[in-house]
Amino acid sequence: MSSTIPTYRPDVYSREAILDPYPHYDQLRALGPVVRLAKQRALAVTRYDDCKQVLLDDATFVSGRGVALNPVANRLSRGTTLNSDGEEHDRRRKILASRLTPKSLRSMREEVERRADAVVAAAVEKQHVDGVADIAEALPTSFVPDLIGWPQEGRENLLRWAGATFDSLGPVNAQTLRTAPSTIGMMRFARSVVRRDAVLPGSMGADLLEKAASGEVERGECPALMIDYLAPSLDTTISAIASALMLLAEHPDQWAALKADPSLIPNTVNEVVRLESPLRAFARDTEVGGVAVPAGSRVVVFYASANRDERVWDAPTSFDITRDAAAQLGFGQGSHGCAGQGLARLETQSILRSVVERVDRIEVTGQLTWGLNNIIHKLDHLPLRLVPVGEGE
Amino acid sequence: MRIIADYDRCEGHGLCADQAPDVFDLDDEGDLIHHFDGAELPAEQEAAGQRAIDACPVAALRAG
Ligand code: HEM
Ligand code: SF4
Repeated sequence: MSSTIPTYRPDVYSREAILDPYPHYDQLRALGPVVRLAKQRALAVTRYDDCKQVLLDDATFVSGRGVALNPVANRLSRGTTLNSDGEEHDRRRKILASRLTPKSLRSMREEVERRADAVVAAAVEKQHVDGVADIAEALPTSFVPDLIGWPQEGRENLLRWAGATFDSLGPVNAQTLRTAPSTIGMMRFARSVVRRDAVLPGSMGADLLEKAASGEVERGECPALMIDYLAPSLDTTISAIASALMLLAEHPDQWAALKADPSLIPNTVNEVVRLESPLRAFARDTEVGGVAVPAGSRVVVFYASANRDERVWDAPTSFDITRDAAAQLGFGQGSHGCAGQGLARLETQSILRSVVERVDRIEVTGQLTWGLNNIIHKLDHLPLRLVPVGEGE
Repeated sequence: MRIIADYDRCEGHGLCADQAPDVFDLDDEGDLIHHFDGAELPAEQEAAGQRAIDACPVAALRAG
């Protein structure tokens, strides 16, 4: 990393930049490996190799002082796996991951595939749908809260709370201020769920509370671990499913390739998460200073920029489901690499499998809109027409 | 080249097996099998082995 750090003055978290971040990322990558964000008083890391280096070096670039861009959220998210380091992180991660690994999800595969197929069948029946509300949201909201064990009461708030929790991890701006009450609402509810033992039987949450009863975890840790499960479990996957539908509708050649060879589905998910990374960026604190990064610096790792770095990807902005996209950084990397990616892959792949089977052609029929969120890059509306197999004109 | 697998860190995401099917596999239980554990990789497997290291999302593999 070089020794003089250039400064970037435009706000990469302004409304316009949130809606269309990529031109900013292109400029940041061109400026240098580390660029000072004047507005956020943080250092941006935007090239693939450097992002990966920061993520893998978790002794230098720590998460325990928070991965958000503002001190309030960093304080509020203490105790989560996302926000911890070293042995404490490893211990929490093991507890979380024990229910999220592909191995432990195996028994659920058929059930998720069946639900995905029901969602897609209903959408195909309607033909004209909102790809976000009718497909992308319909699958995860139909079973993930049950899996985690969130009680029925308070479910109507879940999507709003989870979205707000992500928003609150951004820099202090209109977004974070507007969403603060929802973030606190979710934390309060998580605490009361644990206090009242209100998790659904057999769920991940029930497992967690059993571990608390046997002394494996402290009861006081459980609300934060429930947030770890819940907060990232919905919008992220919803983003990936909706972006997959958008990209396949906009690229008939790729759609044809997928129809011809459904074994490309797993890599299609990698390619979607590469090109439209659901999570823009998270931060680290610098424990040990280096050549370019002084100790104490807040470093922001832009996964969504690394995934479009022209230094490592050929034609980085083109959607190509046959490129090798396995090394994309959209799920993060290293010790904090996404614990829920097995579940996210299972859900997104299941939807695509049913879409490929049941749909002949996908068309975008109106104006699509992107959501405003500091951390999550996700479509809000995606008007689609799904032409059923056997009815193509 | 050797590849060291950290079995404790591995969560069975299987991306290594997609990249280097002759080096890595998942058994019926979903646990990682490393065919060249503690041994040199055959020269023709090195490129695939490196891709597997790069693709593992939790950095459970490293060259050693
Ligand atoms: C396409 C969907 C998803 C994407 C793109 C995604 C992305 C990410 C990223 C980039 C990180 C790394 C954070 C960091 O570097 O500090 C992460 C961590 C995490 N994700 Fe996901 N995620 C997705 C789905 C899920 C789901 C469905 C869950 C389920 C509960 C989940 C649970 C977690 C947890 C618990 C962590 C923290 C892991 C740790 O700190 O050790 N994610 N995710
Ligand atoms: S890719 Fe990594 S986590 Fe997945 S099975 Fe291979 S070694 Fe394990």
